[in-house]
Amino acid sequence: MIRRPLLPSHTIRRLEGTLFIAPWIIGFFAFVAFPLAFSLYMSFHRVKVTVGGIETIPNGWGYYREILFADGGLLYDSLIPFLREAALMIPIILVFSLLVAILLNQNFRGRTFFRVVFFLPVIFSSGQIILEFIKQGEGTLAFVESLRIDAYLMSYVPASWAQPIHNVLNSFVLVLWYSGVQILIFLAGRQTISSSVYEAARIDGADPWNTFWKITLPGLVPFVFLNLMFTVVDLFTFPGNPIISQVTTANYGLSSALAWIYFMIILVFVGLVLGLYGKVDRAFAGKR
Amino acid sequence: MERLARLTEDLRGRLPDAGTLREWLYGARTRLIGKEADKGLLFRLFLYLILIDTAFIYLKPILYMITTMIKDAPNMLDPSVVWVPRSIYTGHLQEAFEGLKYKTAFFYSLTLSLSVAVLQILSCAIAGYAFARLDFPFKTFWFGALVFTFILPPQVTILPSLIMFKSFGWANTYLPMIVPALFGHGLKGALFVIIFRQFFSTLPKELEEAARIDGANAFRFFFKVMLPLSRSAIVVVFLFSFVWNWNDFYLPSMYMSGSKEVPLSISLAKLAAGLQAEGDQGGVSIFAEPIKMAASFLIILPVLIVYGIAQRWFVEGVERTGLVE
Repeated sequence: MIRRPLLPSHTIRRLEGTLFIAPWIIGFFAFVAFPLAFSLYMSFHRVKVTVGGIETIPNGWGYYREILFADGGLLYDSLIPFLREAALMIPIILVFSLLVAILLNQNFRGRTFFRVVFFLPVIFSSGQIILEFIKQGEGTLAFVESLRIDAYLMSYVPASWAQPIHNVLNSFVLVLWYSGVQILIFLAGRQTISSSVYEAARIDGADPWNTFWKITLPGLVPFVFLNLMFTVVDLFTFPGNPIISQVTTANYGLSSALAWIYFMIILVFVGLVLGLYGKVDRAFAGKR
Repeated sequence: MERLARLTEDLRGRLPDAGTLREWLYGARTRLIGKEADKGLLFRLFLYLILIDTAFIYLKPILYMITTMIKDAPNMLDPSVVWVPRSIYTGHLQEAFEGLKYKTAFFYSLTLSLSVAVLQILSCAIAGYAFARLDFPFKTFWFGALVFTFILPPQVTILPSLIMFKSFGWANTYLPMIVPALFGHGLKGALFVIIFRQFFSTLPKELEEAARIDGANAFRFFFKVMLPLSRSAIVVVFLFSFVWNWNDFYLPSMYMSGSKEVPLSISLAKLAAGLQAEGDQGGVSIFAEPIKMAASFLIILPVLIVYGIAQRWFVEGVERTGLVE
């Protein structure tokens, strides 16, 4: 006598899946969706937080107008240089972490030691400690000063770009410090390319140079974009970043509006990255 | 004339003919460049040069911290002392230890980081498994929500969360950091869900099929088979979660601004601010720097120890992304 299950099996499967995801979805509503909606609401209101609760007075687009048009200091003075610096840092971080991951993937003596050292930034590159090193000027490379690079910069590069480039060069070591997680992602990604492809390339007599450009790089394209996303998100949400430090409890409405404008800028960036990914992925799809 | 002819004969005999010359050159090239890129001498040199340089960049701050914090006044004022002081002085460490209120703050930090890390491992693994292998309504939409959560800066939602947790009466407690972790959110929670999702989708599907034929339900199967298999992913997530929560300054500073019980990251900021204020009043003391370094060292030491213990599995876990070819 076989007991017939009460429900068809795919319904049971969906029930199981729903039960598994339920905590996360509840959390999403409570800790993401609700605060998000509420901060959007607050950005259109004057908010007074009193002992008895919160008083809100409708303010319309007032704060947005203030930030975007009237008072440029809050957004533009810190945003534009920051965006320029980010535009410089992102490629450096990506190229450097790709190079290091490829190197760490080779077989050589002392590999384990180097791996342990190279994952150190993952551990430190948060908050306080890094800020301490910036203050000490630990971030500079000696050759930048000895070659007087900044003097060249000032004379050959338009002024609006000279300062960000100078800043990035000055904190170049810190840029390397931000590459911890990215190295990890590339290392893990490199493992997904099967060794038989390299075997075949070697038998066909491909030299290492061609092997890198024809096999390794196309294989790593998805991971390049994963890293690009991660780097963008990481740079833009880093607590020491100039705009984020202006979101305070001093003025709930104004801060919420600023945070939302900033978030929109991030979304545009990420949208660009995803659009780019679609194009590049199609271009490489034939080669894979 | 004859002698000249003899000479040329001699020389010809001594010089290698073109064939051997080419072989010899080719051998030299192979030795220098290598048949494959990772075998040649030149490449080796280049590899070690880059690796050692970068490793030094990564290690320098730690070395600087350690050497600065053990310098006493004579060593600090002596221009010939750069890296290695003539004597070891532990006074700065003691001062930093007291300034940080290390005993209590360490305990708070440990409680917070450990509980968040353990909760995030469980909740993010469950969510990640659902995204990887199970079926539920509107799955694509929810995956979009997950990516959206990953992109969202915490600053957009911090003020409403602050008001919300205050109304629950959780101001100045750890609960605003711990409860979201219980539901698979919290600090970088979305990233951990994504990591687990990637990991579970690389495991062979046959496992599930076998379990289903045996009549095991999803819960038993997940806790008995999947979780034990995901040791490497668990180590990676644990290390990230523990370390990031340990170092995190932003959330505690927002949620616990009025609290007396602060984790180490906050007490470091307070100590630095205190030294700054002293410096503004009476001129900058030369001891401010070593005390700050000693404090930083005391904060990263526990993390370094945890990393030292976990690094073997961690490096392995990073490598293990899918089926080993």
